[in-house]
Amino acid sequence: MSSSHLPFGAMSRLAWRNLWRNHRRTAIMLLAIAVGVWAMIFMTALMRGMVDQMIEDGIDALPGQVQVHHPAFRDDPSIDHRIPQPDAGKARGLQSPEVSGWTSRLRVPAMISSERNNRGVTLLGVDPQGEIALGFDPHSIIEGRFLESVDDNGLVVGAKLLERLETRLGKRVVVMSQDPENNIADRGFRIVGVYKAKLSSLEEAFIYGGLTTIQALLEVPGEVSEIAVTGHDYRDIDAVYRLVSGVYGEGFETLPWMELETYLGMMLKMMDGFVLVWIIVIFLALSFGLANTLMMAVFERIREIGLMQALGMKPSAILYQILLESLMLLTLGLLAGNVLAVASILPVQDGIDVSAVAEGMEMMGASSVLYPALKLKDLLMANTVVIVLGILTSLLPAWRASQYRPVEAIAKI
Amino acid sequence: MHKSMLWLGLLFLSSSAAQESDATQLVRNAMDHWRGLTSHSNMTMIIHRPDWERTMTMESWSKGDKQSLVRVIEPRKDAGNGTLLDDNNMWTYTPKINRIIKVPSSMMSQSWMGSDFSNKDISKSTDIIDQYDHELTATEEKDGRLHYTITSIPHEDAAVVWGREVLVVRDDYVLMEQQFWDQDGILVKTLKTLEVEEMGGRSVAKVMRMSKTDTPEEWTQMTANSIEFDVELANNVFTLSNLRNPRQ
Repeated sequence: MSSSHLPFGAMSRLAWRNLWRNHRRTAIMLLAIAVGVWAMIFMTALMRGMVDQMIEDGIDALPGQVQVHHPAFRDDPSIDHRIPQPDAGKARGLQSPEVSGWTSRLRVPAMISSERNNRGVTLLGVDPQGEIALGFDPHSIIEGRFLESVDDNGLVVGAKLLERLETRLGKRVVVMSQDPENNIADRGFRIVGVYKAKLSSLEEAFIYGGLTTIQALLEVPGEVSEIAVTGHDYRDIDAVYRLVSGVYGEGFETLPWMELETYLGMMLKMMDGFVLVWIIVIFLALSFGLANTLMMAVFERIREIGLMQALGMKPSAILYQILLESLMLLTLGLLAGNVLAVASILPVQDGIDVSAVAEGMEMMGASSVLYPALKLKDLLMANTVVIVLGILTSLLPAWRASQYRPVEAIAKI
Repeated sequence: MHKSMLWLGLLFLSSSAAQESDATQLVRNAMDHWRGLTSHSNMTMIIHRPDWERTMTMESWSKGDKQSLVRVIEPRKDAGNGTLLDDNNMWTYTPKINRIIKVPSSMMSQSWMGSDFSNKDISKSTDIIDQYDHELTATEEKDGRLHYTITSIPHEDAAVVWGREVLVVRDDYVLMEQQFWDQDGILVKTLKTLEVEEMGGRSVAKVMRMSKTDTPEEWTQMTANSIEFDVELANNVFTLSNLRNPRQ
């Protein structure tokens, strides 16, 4: 602005008045910017919410943010690939302020049958106390009880599985798997508890038995399939990961959840880029309107611009003048858009019920209630993108306005 | 015959504990009677559905409780398909792919050769003796013969889904009926003996039919064409190599 002789106050007053010369055009443009910004922020919040939830649900389903397995277990999760239960030394090693809980479990594919039906499931032999420390919510048991000890003879199954098997709490079912010698290992279990999960696919997939009972069934006393460790925040598990890899060195495969569930890890990484692309796409649509509006405003005022130049206004001042108009337009639009977005997100923060499309959502691993997550980072990104790219877009009309020759411009009709 | 009448008389006098063990003995005898020490038979299996029917003829050998071998003879396209059972392990052989497959636990609940019998029904048929508590619940006379009704309740940790099984055993140890009840007391499926005939020196169930209560139009029927009991069987009958390359 230093190149201009006009003071900033006068220039901004000029810009403001120019903006409202054609108030209908300006109002339409404002509306377009506001709706565009609202769409950027609202949709971003929805997507963030969905992904956050998918990740949290995914980690809940693991559970265990860092897990130790036999190196071949993840390729072939059979009974052949097992590791010894942690001894006292290793247990001491896992005792640390970074670790909020750890447990060991036996995880094998199995077959569960009732009188009328049978399903393939994953049988988990667990230590109930350890599972609760790891984040199993005892309130998710909707009928009966959770396992009480490692040698509990009962079985805890999901509500959906119960429905599929056409059986009920208190009934006996048969669980069949294979022991390391490839012999069939089977026995009857009474269903002592029924749990509810956020995703019914999980309810169908996992059944829980006492660790010692399952070890006896499969004839692998003192051995487990995995050791699961959780920290305090799933986004920041490096410390836990380093600790566990220290305790379990060679011969074991220690992995954080991002690598156990690469899909979820990728989602988290991809999301930032995705949000930026989304904002830019919306902005591109907006920018055509913006450039066009300013272009029109410049064409209408060619004579006026010529006159001002003839009176001594420098081309750079004209450029600033148009940019200032554009900045005002963008700022007003952003304000309205932000207010609109926050006002529409706040009332639905307790969740949007999308159960009508629950099946489709579940295929993606998302649940049927969406919790929009408004993040300051996303809000700032949307505003910055709109301001920076908006100014860049208006550079073209502003530059053209500053390049008129005064004599020719005045002579134009 | 007289012996068993006498035995029944004793049974009524005895205590309930003894009754239970006698019921177990009755089931044991029925199973022994059915299988013999060894047996060699030729059977026809009819799988019936409302819109189609399929017939297969098979040859089978058994030894004790734990070993048996079944091989399809007809129809030609299935000939040579075999199933070997040895101590709760099950293998199948298909000549078309020249492969022996060990039936994994996940397939034990599936149907055996498309019939109404599951692989488990086939492999575990004699498990009923020690995985259940047996009790004699009724005795009645039909066609001049005594029929014992035995209610068998599986042990808590037995690998059995049924709430109870009800067996009807005739006084000459022919298994007349086997009912499978669920844990709510609803009859799910029934194996019924339709014809008894004298074969191989003893009366045996010649025609047996398995059908589900919900779908009475679908059933599987086993007809024994001939049975010999206590035959001499070579040691290599119940081996994988014999399953693949028949020698007997």
